[in-house]
Amino acid sequence: MANLSVNICGVSFKNPVIAASGTYGFGREFNEVYDISCIGGISTKGMTNLPRLGNKVPRIAEGNSVILNAVGLQNPGVEHFIKYDLPFLKEKGIVIIANVAGSTLEDYGKICATLDGLVDMVELNISCPNVRAGGMALGIKPANIEEVTSLAKSNLKKTPLIVKLSPNVESITINAQAAERGGADCVSLVNTFTGMVIDLEKRKPVIANNTGGVSGAGIKPIALKMVYEAAHAVKIPVIGMGGIMTGRDALEFMCAGAKAVQVGTANFADVNAMPRIIKEMDEWLNAHDIKDVNEIVDTLKLN
Amino acid sequence: MKEVLSTVKSCSQIAQNVYSLTVTLPESAGEIKGGQFLNIATGDNSRLLKRPFGIVKAEGLDITVCFQVKGEGTVALSKAKQGDKLSVLLPLGNGFNLPENAKNIVVLGGGVGIFPLIPVIATNPDKNFYSYIGFRNDKCVCLLDEFNKSKKLTVVTDDGSYGQKDNAVNAYFKDKQSVKADMIIACGPPVMLRALKAKLKEENDSTPCLVSLEERMGCGIGACLVCVCKKSDGNNARVCKDGPVFDINEVEL
Repeated sequence: MANLSVNICGVSFKNPVIAASGTYGFGREFNEVYDISCIGGISTKGMTNLPRLGNKVPRIAEGNSVILNAVGLQNPGVEHFIKYDLPFLKEKGIVIIANVAGSTLEDYGKICATLDGLVDMVELNISCPNVRAGGMALGIKPANIEEVTSLAKSNLKKTPLIVKLSPNVESITINAQAAERGGADCVSLVNTFTGMVIDLEKRKPVIANNTGGVSGAGIKPIALKMVYEAAHAVKIPVIGMGGIMTGRDALEFMCAGAKAVQVGTANFADVNAMPRIIKEMDEWLNAHDIKDVNEIVDTLKLN
Repeated sequence: MKEVLSTVKSCSQIAQNVYSLTVTLPESAGEIKGGQFLNIATGDNSRLLKRPFGIVKAEGLDITVCFQVKGEGTVALSKAKQGDKLSVLLPLGNGFNLPENAKNIVVLGGGVGIFPLIPVIATNPDKNFYSYIGFRNDKCVCLLDEFNKSKKLTVVTDDGSYGQKDNAVNAYFKDKQSVKADMIIACGPPVMLRALKAKLKEENDSTPCLVSLEERMGCGIGACLVCVCKKSDGNNARVCKDGPVFDINEVEL
């Protein structure tokens, strides 16, 4: 068996496979299917200071090899998480990444201050395409990214900060660098691509929000390119995601420069996706006589 | 709840655009309650989401679901051949809980909403079921045999091409005095469930009533918060995990 453990910003993961925010809740439901202590980490459902009810239904649609969602950050609020979900996750011995969102700069500062020292890492969701205020508005322009990152960082004395980047931007490299300048310890990408699915019979978009975030196998080539570019534009570590369905997919992202990966939509297609991907990564490394998964990071040879 | 690779035993059309699919599980999925559902792969790998269908029959390792062909996923599934392997996650959701002392159960089904009601009748032989099921027209009528265990079965259609021209809710309320229902269970299109709720309110009828809801789903296990419905208290409930069966007064329809 190959060594699968990785270290990011001083945080040790037993393997590089992290559940992506919004697809895995706070882990409880998947833990009814398998013991989630086998995964590397969890990025929680995006949380806000106060509970949110989210968007109207339908919230999901499907296209060729992709899905489209607009949940709209429904969440029970950060206090509920701290009281109810955090103790459960701590028992699981996995890296706990609190994914946080807000409508204003102050919201981001406040929620980071609340979580500082309580979780292993904080992931700043400045790229949610499905909420009107804040969210992606703060995640598009480099100056805004730098500002919100710097504010979040000033409220995190103990906990490393990940900034999750939107792909719906002019330049992923400039935005990754803006996060780095703002003091991010790590960037993760890509969040979903904005898109639309139409019901031709009704001549209406399928989801109530009209537009939503596109994810799944179909976005992988675009995500891989962006992860490659971002990883070579910044010195801080990069966590890659976007359409990872198999162990090979995960290793491709690491080969492109990611130190770890997040898995989202695959959890819907296959409830056991996370443990399967971890096993497939190990099998591939063994078959190629690679003793340590870290050896594959940033080994892409361009033509 | 577990995910297994099932083998298609049969797939055939049973009404206009409606198919019955039976798969064999490699191992038991544990006890399955009437009103629970499963998530099944379509067999088309470009469709990432499994499809949630109410379980119609569970006999040993054989599980039957029925579904309407609506989009590309269900088109693919309707072409399933004997021996095909389809990943399936089951059993999901809460199902119908019938209290011990509820003897006379009214079953109201509309269209493809009749499917999750069938196993409730099959697995509760000690109850008296009064079934009122409605279809759009005679081409949509199916699975009447499954309702024959009812003490009384009334089939109606929107256009009168099979049975009376009526809808299931009206048909029941015409009979209401003679039935003496202890409980109503219902599944059908939103318009039918809303009519049922309105009628109960109008008649000041406090008969306990459970409804099974449908919503577009993501994970099917309660993690992704895609398939929510509004509760009467203003909060959201997850159709897949907290439901799909709810007290009619607990949810906004």
